[in-house]
Amino acid sequence: MSSANVPQVMKQGKVIPWFYLAPAIIIMSIFIVYPMLNTVVLSFLNKDGTASAATTCNLGQPCWGVFENYRYALTAELNITSFNTIWQSFWVSSYGNTLKWIFIMVSGTVGIGLGFAIFAERVKYEALAKAIIFMPMAISFVGAGVIWKFVYNWGTSQVQVGLLNAIITALGGKPVPFLSTTNLNTIMLVIVGIWMWTGFCMTILSAALKAVPDEVLEAARVDGASEWQIFWGVMVPIISPTIIVVITTMVINVLKLFDIVYVMTGGNFGTEVIANRMYDEMYKNFQTGRGTAIAVVLIIAIIPFIYMNIRRFLAQEAMR
Amino acid sequence: MKTKSIVVVSMIVILTMLLASCAKAAPVATEAPMAEATEAPMAEATEALMPSEIDCMGAAAGDTVSMLYQWSGVEEENLNKILAPLVEACGIVINPESTRDQALLDTRVQAGTPPDVTFWNVTQLSQYKDKLIAMTDLGVNGDNYAEYWKNIGTVDSKWLGLPVKADPKTLVWYSPANFTTDGYAIPTTWDELDALVEKMVADGKVPWSMGMESGDATGWTGTDFIQDILLVTQGPDYVMGIIDGTIPYNDPGVKAAYEIYGKWAMSEMYTVGGAAGTVSVGFNDAINKVFSNPPEAMMVKQSGFAGGTVKATYPDLTYGTDYDFFGVPGAKGLQGGSDWMMAFSDKPAVKALVAYLSSAKGGEMWAQVGFDLTPNTAGSDAYVDAALLKKGQILANATGFTPDIGDSIPGGFGSAEFKGITEYVNGGDLDTILNTIATAQIEGLK
Amino acid sequence: MRRSKINKMLNKIPTHFVIIFTMFVWLVPTIGLFITSLRPLPLINTTGWWTAFSDKNTQQTSSTTKFTLNNYIDAIVGYRGTNTYVEDCQSGSQSSSLKCNASDLLNPRGMGQAFVNSLLVTIPATILPIFLAAFAGYAFAWLDFKGRFLLFAILVGLQVVPLQMTLVPVLKMYAQTGMTGTFLGVWLFHTGFGMPYAIYLMRNFLGGLPKDLFEAAYLDGASHWTTFTNLVIPLSMPAIASLGIFQFLWVWNDLLVALVFLGGTKPVMTYQISNMVTSLGAGWHLLTAAAFLSMLLPMVVFFALQRYFVRGMLAGAIKG
Repeated sequence: MSSANVPQVMKQGKVIPWFYLAPAIIIMSIFIVYPMLNTVVLSFLNKDGTASAATTCNLGQPCWGVFENYRYALTAELNITSFNTIWQSFWVSSYGNTLKWIFIMVSGTVGIGLGFAIFAERVKYEALAKAIIFMPMAISFVGAGVIWKFVYNWGTSQVQVGLLNAIITALGGKPVPFLSTTNLNTIMLVIVGIWMWTGFCMTILSAALKAVPDEVLEAARVDGASEWQIFWGVMVPIISPTIIVVITTMVINVLKLFDIVYVMTGGNFGTEVIANRMYDEMYKNFQTGRGTAIAVVLIIAIIPFIYMNIRRFLAQEAMR
Repeated sequence: MKTKSIVVVSMIVILTMLLASCAKAAPVATEAPMAEATEAPMAEATEALMPSEIDCMGAAAGDTVSMLYQWSGVEEENLNKILAPLVEACGIVINPESTRDQALLDTRVQAGTPPDVTFWNVTQLSQYKDKLIAMTDLGVNGDNYAEYWKNIGTVDSKWLGLPVKADPKTLVWYSPANFTTDGYAIPTTWDELDALVEKMVADGKVPWSMGMESGDATGWTGTDFIQDILLVTQGPDYVMGIIDGTIPYNDPGVKAAYEIYGKWAMSEMYTVGGAAGTVSVGFNDAINKVFSNPPEAMMVKQSGFAGGTVKATYPDLTYGTDYDFFGVPGAKGLQGGSDWMMAFSDKPAVKALVAYLSSAKGGEMWAQVGFDLTPNTAGSDAYVDAALLKKGQILANATGFTPDIGDSIPGGFGSAEFKGITEYVNGGDLDTILNTIATAQIEGLK
Repeated sequence: MRRSKINKMLNKIPTHFVIIFTMFVWLVPTIGLFITSLRPLPLINTTGWWTAFSDKNTQQTSSTTKFTLNNYIDAIVGYRGTNTYVEDCQSGSQSSSLKCNASDLLNPRGMGQAFVNSLLVTIPATILPIFLAAFAGYAFAWLDFKGRFLLFAILVGLQVVPLQMTLVPVLKMYAQTGMTGTFLGVWLFHTGFGMPYAIYLMRNFLGGLPKDLFEAAYLDGASHWTTFTNLVIPLSMPAIASLGIFQFLWVWNDLLVALVFLGGTKPVMTYQISNMVTSLGAGWHLLTAAAFLSMLLPMVVFFALQRYFVRGMLAGAIKG
C-alpha cells in the first residue's frame, strides 16, 4: 500500500486523483453510503424502530441481545438440535439455496458466456448470434415470467400447455410438476437465471476478448499451437482479470436476485433465497429490523470476493 | 474527433434534460382523462346537480387528491367511472398511482410522504393507525354502513377505514348445465355437500378443482377454503376469535378444518391433479377447469370474481345456464374479501371523496358500475348485473360476516398462513405448520 | 494453401453446430413468448403455443381466429376492459378515454407517452454514471492516491447493497428538497446505484491497458487530462459500450425506482405494463405483447453499440 512500489507513471500529484474521484464519491455517499448507514441502525432495533432489538427476545429462548435480529436472520431457518440437523436444515434454508444458486448459476452463465463469445468470434453472423443470447436480458421479467410459467406448466388434462411436459408426455413419460417438486424446482429456476444472464457475461467477456491483440494469437498459431492450446494458454490468461470481474459481478447479482423466485414460486416449496427473505421480512412481515439484518449478512457474505479482487488488483500492478 | 463525440453525447444529455423539464411543466399525464372531463361541464355541473347529492366539503376546483391503490386494468377503469360524478361536480383532480408492490406504500409512509388516500387491505388500518385520519373527522356518512363493517374498520376505538369494495368468498361455482346432465342437485347442508362429493367420486367424476398457485401469494385459495369450513363447523364467533387472538391458530377446531380440507385437496379422486394439482395449478386455471369441454371437475370454491375469469376464457358461455354459484352449504356466516379506503390527509378534497363514497349517490354509482359489491347499503339494490345482484343479496342478508383472517391479522401472519397451507398440501407435518402459524398470529397481534 | 482453406472450413463445422444449437435453445422461450403474444386468450389457455400452426385447436373454440394483433393493439393504446379494443370500438362501447382513432396512440394510459417518459429517464441515467465512472475508474487504475485499496474494497462491497435499504432515507431527502416526482431525482438515484459497478468494470478494463502507453504519452508532454480525454476514453470504448448497454437496460426495465421516485404521474413503460394486469391476474396475456414492445429499443441499442466490439483497437498502441 505504500506509494514506493507504484510505477512512476502513476504519480500525478496528491490532489489530482481526488479531482477525478470526487463526483463519484459524492454521489455514492449520498445515495448509497449515507442511506445504508441510516438503515443499518434499524437492524439493532425492534420492528417499529422504537426500542432495542433485545426487547424482542422471548423468555426461555435463545437471545443475542441487540444482535437479536441477526440471530433471527442467521438461525431462524435452522434446526439446531444437533450438528446433523443443522447440516440438513441448512441445505433447504434460504442460505443453502443461495449457495446452490451461486454455484450453478455462476458457473453456467460464465462458462456458456465465455464459450459462446469465443465460438461466435469465428463466424460471420457474430452480431446476430450474440444478439440472440443477449435478448433475454432485454425482455423484462414481467413478460419473461409468463413464458417460463408456460415452459414449466404442469397440466392436469390430456393436453399439456407446458412445453417441457408436452415433450415428456409425447415421449411417453409422466408429466412432472417442476415448480412444486423440492430440489428439482431450484434447478429449474436457476435455468431461467442462466437463460437471462448468460448474455451479460458473454457481452463483457466478448469485449475483453476483442482486446486480445491479433499479433499474439498469430504468433501462437505460427508456433503450431492448436486452437485448444491457444484458448487455455493465451486467451484465458490475458482475459483472466475480466473473468474474475464477471464472476464477482455474477455472485453479487445472484445474491441480490429475487424476481425469478418471487414470480415463479413465491419462495414456496423450498425455493426461498436470501434476497427473497429480506423482501418478505421488510414488506410482508414489516419487520424492518430483521430485513435489514439479512441485508447486512448479504453485504458481509461478499467479503471473500472483495479479498480476491484486491489480490488481483495488487498482482496486476506488480506486473507493470 | 474525440472531442466531437463528447460534444454529441453532452448534447444528447442536455436535450433530454430539457425535454424532461418541459414534460414536467406539461399537464400531468394520467389525470388527463379525468381533468378533461372536468373542464367543460364543471361550471354547469355544479349548478345542474342537486347540491344535496354531492357535497364538495369545501373543496375548490383544481384541488388535488393523490391516491395509491392495488387496482389496475379493468379495475382502475371501474374506479374512474365511479369517481367521475364527484370529479365533475367538484372539479377536483385525482392523481392516481397503481401498484401491487407493498414496498411502495410502506416506503412512502415511512419517508413521511404518504398519498392523501390509499385503498388497501384491512391490516394496514392497524399498521398505520397513528398516521391515519378518522373517518368521522372526514365527514363520513356512517348511516350507510352496517355495524359489523364499522367494527372491522375501527382500531383503538377510532373508525379509520371506509370499506369500499367487498367480494363474498363463501361461494361455490359450478355449471348448471353439467349438474342437470349428471342429475346432481345443489346441496343445502354440509352433509348434503359431503354426500354429493362422494356421489361424484362414485360416478367417476372429480368433484373439486382446488388449484391455489398464485405466485408469491400461493395458498390463499386454500386458506379461504379453511375459513369457510370453519364457518360451517365452528361459526363466525370462532373465526372472529382467531382474528382477535382469543383462539390460537393451533386450536383443535382449526386442525379439524385442515383435515377436512386436506382429505379433498390431496387426493386425485377428489380434486384435479391431487396434491400436486392443488399446489401447482394457478387459481384462475382452477376456475376454468370446471367449465372446459369436457369439464375436468364439477365445482370450484372461489370468490365472486370467478365469473369474470370464466367469461374471459370462455366468451361463449352465459351466466345462469353455463356457470353459476351457490353459497357454501351449512355456513353459519359469510367470509368476505374487502378493500378499505384510508386517509393520510384531511384536506377538503379528501373529505369530499369520503363524503361522496359513503353517500347514497356514491353507493349507487359503485353498484351500477359493478366493481364487485359495495358495503354501502345505499347501493344494495342498484346492481345492474344479475350475478352481482345475487351476490349483493347474499352480502346484504349476511349474518355473521367475517373478514378474511389472513387480511385481518397484521405483520407476517397472512404470508405465514399461505405458506403453511401450501406446505401442508405438499406433504408437511400439520401440527408443526399450525404451530408456526400460531406463532405468527401471536407476533402479529402483539 | 487451398487444402488448408478447405480444412479450415471443415474445422468450422462443429463451431457452427455449437453456435446454432445454443442459439436455438436460447430462442425457444422467446419464440414461445412471441407466438403467444399473437394468439387470442382462449387459445393461449387451452393449447400449447407450439401447436399454434396446426388446425386442430381452432375446432375447440368456435369463434376465435388462430392469430391476432389484438394483444399488441390493446397494449399500445392502453386498453382497460374485458374484451379487446377493436371489439369495443366496433360495438361503440369503448371507455370514455378512448376515441377509437389515431389519437388513442397518445392515450395517457397507453405506451406512447410512457415510451417518451422512459426515454427521458433512461438516457441521462445511462450517460451520467458512465461518464463519472470513467473518471473514477481512471483514477483507480492509473493514479496513485492514499487509501486506494480501502476505497476499492468499499466499492466492491457497495455493489451488493440492496436497493430496498436506501429507498426510505433517500425519499426523505427528496421530500425535504422538493425532488420527489422529478426526473432529476430518478437520474441521480440511478447514477448513484449504477456507479459502483460501472467504476469497478472501468477500473478493470483500464487497468489492463499497457503501461508503455501512458509513459509514451507523458514523454510527449501530454498532461493527465489530455491523456484521459485523448487516449483513455477512445481506447476504452468497448468497455464503455458494454456498460452503456447494461446501464440502459437496467434503467429501462426498472419498475421499483421509477415507482417510488416518479410515481404514477409520469408513468414509464414498466409502470404501464405492470398495470395491464388486474390484481387478480386478468389481462396477463397482454404482458406477452408488452414485453416485445419494450424490448425493441434495448435491442436497437445493443446492435448500435456492437460496432465498438472490434478487435485491434489497441493494435497500434502495443509494441511486441
